[in-house]
Amino acid sequence: MTVALQGIPRNTLVWLLVAQVLVIVPHLTHLPLWIVALWLGCVAWRLRIFRMQANYPPSWVKAVIILAAGSGVYLSRGGLVGLDAGVVLLIAAFILKLLEMRTRRDALVVIFLGFFTVVTSYLFEDGLVAGTYSLLPVLALLAAMIGLQQSRLFSRPWPALRLAGSLLLQALPLMVVLFLFFPRLAPLWSVPTSAPRQTVGLSEQMAPGDIVELSRSAELAFRASFTGQVPPRDRLYWRAATFERFDGRRWSQSVASRLPVAPQWSPAGEPVHYSVVMEPSRRPWLYTLDVPNVTGADAQLMPDFHVQRPTPVDAPLMYRATSWPEALRQPTATPDTLARALELPERGNPRSRAWALELRRDSVDSEALVAALLTHFNREPYGYTLRPPPVGDQIVDDFLFETRQGFCIHFAGAMTFVLRAAGIPARIVIGYQGGEFNPAGNYLTVRQLDAHAWVEYWVAGRGWVSVDPTFQVAPERIELGLVEALPQERELFDETSEALLRYRHIGWLNDLRLGWESLNYGWQRWVLGYQDEEQAGLFQRLFGSTDWRIPGLVLVGALAVGLAILALLLLKPWRREKDVQLALYQSFEQALARQGVRRQPGEGPQAFAARAARRLPEHADGILAFARCYEAARYADAPVSARELAASVKRLRRELPWRKGRSTLAE
Amino acid sequence: MSGRAPSRLQRLRDRWLARRLPAATSVQLTQRSIFIVPTTVGMAFLVALLLMLLAAINYRNSLAYAMTFLLASVFAVTLLHTWRNMAGLRLQAGRTRPVFCGERAHPWVRLESGGRTHQAVALGWPGQTFELADVPARGACEVELTLSTTRRGWLRPPRLRVESRFPLGLFVAWSWVDLDLAVLVYPWPVADELPLQDGSRGDEEGRHLRGAGADDYQGLSPWQPGVSRRRLHWKAYSRGQGLLVKEFAAVAGRDLMLDYEALGGDAESRLSRLCHWVQTLTEQHTAFGLRLPGRNIAPAQGRDHADACLRALALHGVAERPTAARP
Repeated sequence: MTVALQGIPRNTLVWLLVAQVLVIVPHLTHLPLWIVALWLGCVAWRLRIFRMQANYPPSWVKAVIILAAGSGVYLSRGGLVGLDAGVVLLIAAFILKLLEMRTRRDALVVIFLGFFTVVTSYLFEDGLVAGTYSLLPVLALLAAMIGLQQSRLFSRPWPALRLAGSLLLQALPLMVVLFLFFPRLAPLWSVPTSAPRQTVGLSEQMAPGDIVELSRSAELAFRASFTGQVPPRDRLYWRAATFERFDGRRWSQSVASRLPVAPQWSPAGEPVHYSVVMEPSRRPWLYTLDVPNVTGADAQLMPDFHVQRPTPVDAPLMYRATSWPEALRQPTATPDTLARALELPERGNPRSRAWALELRRDSVDSEALVAALLTHFNREPYGYTLRPPPVGDQIVDDFLFETRQGFCIHFAGAMTFVLRAAGIPARIVIGYQGGEFNPAGNYLTVRQLDAHAWVEYWVAGRGWVSVDPTFQVAPERIELGLVEALPQERELFDETSEALLRYRHIGWLNDLRLGWESLNYGWQRWVLGYQDEEQAGLFQRLFGSTDWRIPGLVLVGALAVGLAILALLLLKPWRREKDVQLALYQSFEQALARQGVRRQPGEGPQAFAARAARRLPEHADGILAFARCYEAARYADAPVSARELAASVKRLRRELPWRKGRSTLAE
Repeated sequence: MSGRAPSRLQRLRDRWLARRLPAATSVQLTQRSIFIVPTTVGMAFLVALLLMLLAAINYRNSLAYAMTFLLASVFAVTLLHTWRNMAGLRLQAGRTRPVFCGERAHPWVRLESGGRTHQAVALGWPGQTFELADVPARGACEVELTLSTTRRGWLRPPRLRVESRFPLGLFVAWSWVDLDLAVLVYPWPVADELPLQDGSRGDEEGRHLRGAGADDYQGLSPWQPGVSRRRLHWKAYSRGQGLLVKEFAAVAGRDLMLDYEALGGDAESRLSRLCHWVQTLTEQHTAFGLRLPGRNIAPAQGRDHADACLRALALHGVAERPTAARP
């Protein structure tokens, strides 16, 4: 039994130190190293304080440490504002507060800082593993909080942890209700985001080498779920952007294709419905099949049929789209558009230009010319490789007539050049082709190595027509995917794609991988992507309307019901048999008190009944009968039911005269 | 306890509590008697949750939402846990040893579990440090409380506050119980001349018992309040043996009668001096009687006799039974 409520119990200290480790570990990837040193130093000092081997730091030492930490953050993060610096400051405060933690209030401050730090870790990493892991630091923080309330300064740490665990478990159902029904609001003000991570992906301008680089990475680009049948692989051309400008060396996006002017098109054929969850790409493009109608995400169809939103995609983004692959695209195009699709540098690649004119002469129309070109790629000894031999200044000439070895971008670039030289408007489309179908989750995974480039040309009346020269050279690239298409070049792929390739043929391992990926996708779709639109969709499905009042009522009702069920489970009112006896005894005591016979402190039921019987001889029988009954029920475990006891006290109460003046005891 | 006169609000509260939770020597806490509100820590926790919610909204981060909701749910669940930590707890007043006025009284309260464990239950009166106790499941524990005494007679402490903030300190559940605790407070002993009267009244000469140190030295006994400091064995104290007093042989002779009327001074000082002599004479194993206005106690000796005399002194001119009035 203690009186002191000031010192910090050992239990709390132990759990706080554990919690600090658990809280800081997920942040380690973006923390400067000196923070770790600071942390170890503070922990060592704190432990010495607890063992009374050291004192709390004097205020000048604290001031020096705080200044040093502040300038450390400034130097390593280039400022004190912004998300990265803010998080480092928060963690530094979380660590330093340990040193001046004297009272329980200080400990609470540290615990609250800990909760905040856990929340900030989500801004950097919000995968399934990170999300589940964060329950551990919260558990330790709650255990530390319980330690503060325990009556002993030195108690064993495990009961506190167990209690914290049961608190969390009991809180989970309520959390789910809140998560589903709490209204998602639009951001109230703009907030600093973390510095862009180095990501690989498509970019606004690409030399052939860039896309080769991209093809070595197995990093996730996006995942797509289809409503109904997944289209065959050779129809899965995901458009990201088009390249219309050619400077003789690289292809790049034209300025005009970035102006938000919707092109003219008309749907035809069967539509495809799908939803996409894309990884941050640092580009504003959304990946879609042709020709899409995207809902949400502020997306807009651009003049070259790619879709983009006003700001780059810096966080995982989910959107739904409907595409009409057979749609008629711009059957009549403006002269501007056509001029852009015919633009070539003034000089260079003379052999290609000459060959284009030759083809032009031999063909009746554009379609025949394209067919001749494709046949050429198919018949001549062209090779598909990730290791194209170097080319000179005349890159199209060298590729078409000398090396003949290249990657999708080489074929697409050469074909576009020849078409333009022959007077057919054409451009390169970049994006992704194919993807890996995950049967466990019934969705498609598209990785960076699925990056692809193909060609579209324009014919009056038919509009834009897509064509893929790579298919003529390496049909297996389209039908099976890159990794299968280039088995002899596997050493070029990075470790992940290497592993992907190696284990793809071990059945159970591949199933395991697909299952895990599917779980992550579900997490991303249903947990991370659960924002205003998803919520509105859920309400629409559940209640048939998006009116806020119904879900609001459901939220309140579900919370009340949840708490009531929990209260029943926790309090177990059906286990109160013994307490009923006590309540009846109290009723007996009150009845006698009304007659002026009060139980003395420490007087046993037997002695009290005997005394009361002496004082009220005319009711002695009733009093003694109840006392016998009570003793038997409570102490002898005799089969006296609560009902009998109740009847006995009721009889006695009815017998006793009602005395006014002490009516406060009335039930 | 509190020197201030109770405010109107307090009186109202007391009346309401008296109706809702009447005095009893044994009280079981039920939903009728437990109140619960968030603590300051709980409020701070809610503010922290609000900040987290703002972060979740502004970053559109589902996991931040989830963590905020998880902690909010923990908050709600703690309400039940704190409440449960009190519910079913049974408090029983124990017997309290009488004390001399000015000493601290230590009433005992027995806490009995209603079936489950009750952790960190705090008991006390407002304005003092609360005692913490853990009650094991189906077990009991005893808590010693502390009360300061300012005047003799029955000390009827105000309602006892029982509270618990377990497990997280976010909520405080409390109850005001009236356990019918009553402490008998004897007058504070003051050493003085013996107000001596012979057993037979009218014997003019009387007999003065001589002061300490005159009779045969008998040995040492523990110090008790009211014993003259002059009899303290300082050497033993300096040796660390605690406060001991030198005992002397009883004065032989006829029974003594301590007489209220034979003393000068106001009533309280007379009672204090009588109290001293009751103590002293009992220690010296001397038989004595006590004569108070309207009350005579025949000469006798022994602890029971002394208790009866002290009780008579304590209750002289005040209520014989503890009254519910605030002290």
